[in-house]
Amino acid sequence: MSDLDVEQSNEKLLIDVGSTYFKLSRTGHIEQHLRDFNKDILDDLMYKCGKTVEGFAKDDVYICSSANGGLTTLIIGITNTFSLKYATNIAFNSGINIIDTVLYQNIEDYSLPSDLIDVVIIVGGINSHGNIFSANLYNYLAQLRYSNIVFVGNEIDVPAIKENIENIDILPNIIDDRLHIVEEHLREYLTNLYQKDIEGKEDIKHLYDITSNQIFPTPYIVNKTLPLINAKFSVVNPFILLDIGGATTDIHYSKDLVDDNLVTENEYDRLVFKKLGVYKSKQSLIFAAKNNEFVYELLMHLKVTENIFEEQSEKSTKILMQLAIFLVLCKISHYRKAYINLKLLAINSIVLTGGITKVLTSDEIEDIISFFYKKILNSEHNPMTVLDSNYDIWTLGTVNTDVDADTYISTKEERGK
Amino acid sequence: MKVVTGVVGNDIHVVANRLIELSLNARGYEVFNLGVNTYLEEFFDAAVETGADVLMISSLNGEAEGWSREVKLLKAKYKNLDDIIMMIGGNLVVGTGNAEDIVPRYKNYGFDIVCHQVDLNTGLDMLETLLKERSIQSKETKESNK
Repeated sequence: MSDLDVEQSNEKLLIDVGSTYFKLSRTGHIEQHLRDFNKDILDDLMYKCGKTVEGFAKDDVYICSSANGGLTTLIIGITNTFSLKYATNIAFNSGINIIDTVLYQNIEDYSLPSDLIDVVIIVGGINSHGNIFSANLYNYLAQLRYSNIVFVGNEIDVPAIKENIENIDILPNIIDDRLHIVEEHLREYLTNLYQKDIEGKEDIKHLYDITSNQIFPTPYIVNKTLPLINAKFSVVNPFILLDIGGATTDIHYSKDLVDDNLVTENEYDRLVFKKLGVYKSKQSLIFAAKNNEFVYELLMHLKVTENIFEEQSEKSTKILMQLAIFLVLCKISHYRKAYINLKLLAINSIVLTGGITKVLTSDEIEDIISFFYKKILNSEHNPMTVLDSNYDIWTLGTVNTDVDADTYISTKEERGK
Repeated sequence: MKVVTGVVGNDIHVVANRLIELSLNARGYEVFNLGVNTYLEEFFDAAVETGADVLMISSLNGEAEGWSREVKLLKAKYKNLDDIIMMIGGNLVVGTGNAEDIVPRYKNYGFDIVCHQVDLNTGLDMLETLLKERSIQSKETKESNK
């Protein structure tokens, strides 16, 4: 019996609360329910699967959630290649979805976000280089509405930053003296903020009535799972994992797929397309599709017209999901580079997880992937498609996150002292 | 004195890059080596993050010229790099060419020191000479402002 089987024989109930669905997994059984947005999450969950939940002790229920919508983040850095890129990478890997950036030298040209920002991150300079930040930063921040603010830049500027910005948290620099990234402190800080945000959301807070375990951000769990993926699937590195959800699309990718100045201990990085989903973000997905000149050819290939966008049917959901795969691949290719350009011709496997695996068949997914490679990359390359139909990636991550959970909780307790 | 160095573009001449780093260290510079296959923007960004005084680009496969044409344009986007010393060295053309043609061309691209097929120590001596000149100029300017 493998370690994983032993873990699962303890009969744990795993629950993932997404923006659109919640999923429950116990040994040999998976169930998925569309959320009722008029109800509190716990009430909805108990109404639909109360009997299952009641059969488990609080210690055996593990919950992860992305239903709080994630934290909104504004990063102020001094270069695109180092400070902004490093902080963005850490934020994505901490499970944060919404990230805006400001290049400090042009800070006066940026318009002020009107919404309340959950966390502002200020970064720039190695420790031996200082006096970078000055009055224009403080003036900008004075007009901004935010809940948390953290400085992760050079040591020389710390006294001035502390003096001029109230309630700022100071963490060690994320750029070391060789211009390499230092992730751990900011990552821990952001995951703890995410945790506090979950606890602060009335809806999610009630979920602690049924579990005594920490509720983790779902993307954090997925990212933790990737090194273990071969325990369940025959996945050949390098690979990408697409999680096309109702509100956002997450991509986790092997670091081998990027030519990058980022040298980290992570084997896999994450990025998010925040307005690419098939339910809550449906309209922006359709908008993105209409602005892509290859989409009409793709619709013809799928034997439908653009009228399908107006329909509410199983067929239209399928088409939207196929479009989402195509658009995501475009966004990580040289054709429509969004945040990063992956070496797509080097990919050996594409793993798909989330609701998409319940809607599309392998053939339908492979059809879109091969269309993308032919049309955009002019290649016959055909990576293997792996469908995580039983949500093994999420369950594997949840049951193997106990050690991290201990660290997580002790950090929280320390912070609380 | 801080120096950012690396090999520009799709050039993997790592041995030369390492030798430059060692030589700079031996002369007492604080070196930030970006390694091979470095894009122009990374050089400038590294200079901003480190507060470097010198940006030293090397190239062996001759690809530098294509990148160097972008130097002035890209540097103009940065607000704090006016005083940085721009230096380039190695083999700066594809095929053959003579220094009399190549050096003025690269200076026109925005470099202060251009070393085409010049040995490393001679190139670093040129850098030291320029740094001394700048230091004297800077002192004179300060005194005249008093």
